[in-house]
This record gives sequence, C-alpha cells and structure tokens, in this order.
Amino acid sequence: MLLTRRTLMQTALTLGAMHAFPGLTWAQARPLVFATFTGSWEEAHKAVLVPAFRKATGNADMVLDPMLSVDQIAKVNAAKNNPPIDVMLHDPGPALQAIAQDLVEPYPVEKSAHYKDLIPEAQVPMGPSPFFQVVGITYNPETVKTPPTSWADLWKPEFKGRVGITNLNSTLGTGFMVELAKMHGGSESNIDPAFKALEALRPSLAAVAANPGQLATLFQQGQIDISPGNFNAIQILKARGVPVEFVIPKEGAIAFKTTIHIVKNSPNKELAFKLIEAALSPEVQAQLMEEPFLIVPTNTKVAIKGELAKTLAKDHAEIAKKFVFQDWAKINEQRSAWIERFNREIKV
Amino acid sequence: MAATLRNVTTYDLKLAAPLAAGFVVFFVTPLVILLALSFQTDPQGGHFGLTQYVNFLGDSFSLGVLGSTLWLGVKVTALTLLLGYPVAWLHQRSPGWAKGVIMLLVLLPLLTSVVVRTFAWVVILGRQGIVNASLLGLGLIDTPLKLLYTEGGVVMALAQVQMPLMVLPLITALSRIDPNLADASSVLGAGHWRTFRKVILPLSLPGIIAGCLLTYAAAITAFITQSLIGGGQMLFMPMYIYQQASTLQNWPFAAAISVIFLVAVLVVVSIFNVLGRLSRGYTNA
Repeated sequence: MLLTRRTLMQTALTLGAMHAFPGLTWAQARPLVFATFTGSWEEAHKAVLVPAFRKATGNADMVLDPMLSVDQIAKVNAAKNNPPIDVMLHDPGPALQAIAQDLVEPYPVEKSAHYKDLIPEAQVPMGPSPFFQVVGITYNPETVKTPPTSWADLWKPEFKGRVGITNLNSTLGTGFMVELAKMHGGSESNIDPAFKALEALRPSLAAVAANPGQLATLFQQGQIDISPGNFNAIQILKARGVPVEFVIPKEGAIAFKTTIHIVKNSPNKELAFKLIEAALSPEVQAQLMEEPFLIVPTNTKVAIKGELAKTLAKDHAEIAKKFVFQDWAKINEQRSAWIERFNREIKV
Repeated sequence: MAATLRNVTTYDLKLAAPLAAGFVVFFVTPLVILLALSFQTDPQGGHFGLTQYVNFLGDSFSLGVLGSTLWLGVKVTALTLLLGYPVAWLHQRSPGWAKGVIMLLVLLPLLTSVVVRTFAWVVILGRQGIVNASLLGLGLIDTPLKLLYTEGGVVMALAQVQMPLMVLPLITALSRIDPNLADASSVLGAGHWRTFRKVILPLSLPGIIAGCLLTYAAAITAFITQSLIGGGQMLFMPMYIYQQASTLQNWPFAAAISVIFLVAVLVVVSIFNVLGRLSRGYTNA
C-alpha cells in the first residue's frame, strides 16, 4: 500500500472527526453501563441484579463496569455530553458531589413502583438508596475474649498496639471520625474532639490502613485485633475462615446509604430506570439479603431474616433505632480540611 | 526528480512520524493539559494564577512529603545497588548453565504482578510473618517487631520489587568488560579488592548509573507498594496526588503537585546524567 501524504491526512482527519463526534461511530445501540463497586458488590450484582434486569426488560444488553465512586465522577465529568456510564452507584459523600456537579438526573419518583416502599432515609429524589452499608466494631474472637460493646472500648489498655483504623480517604474512616466527634461532644461541623480522641488512641494504634480493604488484610495477618469495620467486608473474611466477628456498639452502627443514580445525558435513560427499579424491588433485595451477600435491604416489604436479623436488626423499626445516619452535606464542606489535618497530625 | 545521489547515511525522519504522533497525542497533550490545569486557582476553574504552587512551596508539610519521597528513592536505590551488584557479578563469573538460572531468578519477579509481589511482603513482614516468626523462634525477641507500616519495611519491599531494574543493566555492563583485564590487573600485582576498585567498578559505572536511574524512578512512583507496605499515614507523593485528585476532587492542586514532582524528578535524573558523563570521562582516562 502506498502511503501518500494525502491518504495519511485523510486517515488522520477521519480519525480526528470520529474522535470529535463520537456519535458517528457510536451508534445509539450502546448497552446499558452500570458502574457498580468492585469486589463483593460486583459479585452480588452480577449474580442477582443483572438476571433480574434481563428478565424485566426481555434480555436488554447491559454491562457492569465496577469502579470507585470518585472514579465514576471523574469519568462522567470528563464526557458530560456523552457519558460512558448510565447508572452510577455512590457512597454519601461522592453522591452529593455528583449532584452538586450536575451529573445526575432526578429519579422519576412518580413512575416508580417501589420508591414509596423504601424506608424514609432511602427515599432520595436525586437517586434512591438500594442498600445500606453498616459500620460497627470488628474484632478477632480468638484474642479478644469479651466482645466489645462500645466505641470507647478501642481505648482500653489491653488493646495497646492492637487497634487498626483507616485514614480519611475512605467513607469508613471519615464516618468513624464523625462518630468520635459526636461521642466527645462534637458534631459534623465540630471535628476537634475527634482529633483529640484520636491523639489519645495513638499508643494503641497498630496500623492506619490506606483503605478499608487493607484492614481485612491486617486481620488476616494478625496485625490488628480490633477496628471499626464494614459489616459486608467482614462477611467475606468470615467465609474464608478468618477469625473475625462484628458487633454493633451501644452508640449505634454508623450507616451509609449507598445511592443509585441515572446519569445526566445518558442515552439509555429508560433502561437505567428499569435497572434501578429492579435494584429497589423486594424480590432482588430479599435475594441479596441471603448468604453469602448479606446486603442490608431498604425496601420495607422485605422481612429481615437470617444472619442480618441476628447481628444487625430484626426489623425496619430497629434499623431506624440502631443505625446512625450522618449529615454528609455538612461533612463534605470540611472534609478536605480534615484530611489535611489528619495527614499532618496522625503519625504513628 | 532531481538527479542527486541519495544520501544513505542519514535516515528519513518521517520513519519516526508514527511514534512521534503517538507521543504527541498520548503524552504531550495530557502533559500540556496537566500544566494548564495546575494554574487554575480553584477546582471550579475560571481564574488562573500561581496559587496552587504557592500553596505547595510555601507549606513545610508538603515540602516534607516531597523531601521524604525523594529520600526514600535514594535509600531504595542504594540498597538495590548493594544487593544487586553481587548478583550481577556472580552472573558474570558463573558457567553457562548457572548464568541461565541466575537470569531466570532475576527475571522471575517481573513475570508476576507488582501487587502479588507486594502482598508477599505483607505476609513476610506481618506480626505473624516469616521474619517475626523466625526471630521469636530463635528467642532473639520476646514480642513481634513492628515491620509492616514502617519506612524500613517500605524500603526493603521496594528494593526487592525493583531489583530486576538494577540487575539487568549491571549484567549488561559487566558482560562487556573484557575478562582479560582482570587477569592483567592481577598479573601486574593488584589484589582482588584493588582490581575490583580500580578496574571493574569504573568500567561498570555506565551500568550502575542506568540501573540507579531506573530503580530510582520506579521506587519514588511506586504507588501500590508504598501504600500497601507503608499504610495510610505514611504519605509519599503518589498517594498525596491520588488523595487530592480522587478523594478531594481538587484537580488543580493535584496537577500542581504532579508538575512539581515531575520537575523534582527531572532534576534528580539530570544529576544522574551528569554523573554518567563524568563517569565516561573517568573510564576513558
């Protein structure tokens, strides 16, 4: 083949045009893209949510593209007019950022069959919550003989050098700090007491993990015996035979609503709505509540059973009582300052 | 066509065009965008200025992070050189079959992902890890040492993970040295140590410099190993950039940190290059 300057230019221009106007090559028939979270969430959604969606839509095409909340926001932000994702899943902090940056559609509440059945905390007009994440105390039952009952137990002298926490990059780490502040007379807007409490915890700290996933590794390696931990993350460890237990402290469990959103300018809005409907439906939520997923349902029509009823709450009234939801709008205002301060002050 | 003789000793630059184009599209353009982004005064955009740079350079904490990252690289490079040189030397002095075995051992780590290699170090350095278990078993310590989540642990792990980058250039450099030179040196009355210091070491300097350069660059940017072994409170530049860009969505500051990091690394690299040039002079002397 002869490569003249002309053909080269033509090729380059065509490629350039295809890049500038992706519509040329990207026909409307893109499958629905759902950015779920990585790890156990992806597995759960692949096993339960995707089949339910296929059934509801007569086998519509969809793809799971698992990634962190912050990465979802970055990707959609980079291509607002032609977003590569149709449905986003968010922790409370990033959810508010996505809404503030005008990246999501309001949920068509009036069309929804399940929205009104959700417990009040889960009814978010900009994107309802298909499940909750719960943070309590996780501990190694082989070394911690009396189960802890309060967050304050982390400061007990017998846990000197055995406590693990995460830094504030994660929702878990930030939520834990807010809880600490509240225990010592602070709040979402007054974090000072939490830093003082953390200072007192310093001799006890064996590790400050870079993310909640690392806490799991640290338990496995016997590096830590007690830490704040995510209920669902612990289930995976337990299933693998790691000695680890979860308790809700008497102050209540820190609960995060994970919300699901239709991305603005998505070419698949109708399918996106159907996927979210499936995620809110009692059938899917009941199935996700079973072993091995143990995901906390938000639909009041789902009766809480099994392991969840045993460790967390036996019904939705108890959820309302035992779960502490934090004010993430307030948290977001100052989170970067907290992270800065944590960077500077917490050296183990 | 003009009837001039074709010049066969120079190459047509157009041959490099595809690579150059790829380089411009995928490297230079993002770099320019990064640079532009770093001059934004706030994440929402709008105003341009030097605010982000002033924030970083006027802040002792941020400068401390930069300093500790560059210093970490120095420590890792020194350790890698110390451990890697004997391996390369052994490779050079071994019979053919042993050469193959050593080469395989050097290359083997490159065939597994860096995450896997790093996780192995989590297992080795942990409280119930191999190191602590053996020390406890030998009765040398009473309570497990804290190795994981310490800077020493990070240096150890990085040195092992980046080892092939040091050993391979060293092997190349050493294999280029004529073995007769060492014999000549000893015939002339030099002992082993003197031969090494006066003949082998200077001749292998180009390999040392290349290896140090590669190891250094890889060590200071090793996000995965740094965060898995160092944990959440030991802050190095890659994690600092990630935190600002990802968790805080503060892209302008993240961009400014990246640019500063890039410049700092370039300075270190040029120092290495100057050393390289000096070493060539030394070798020829």
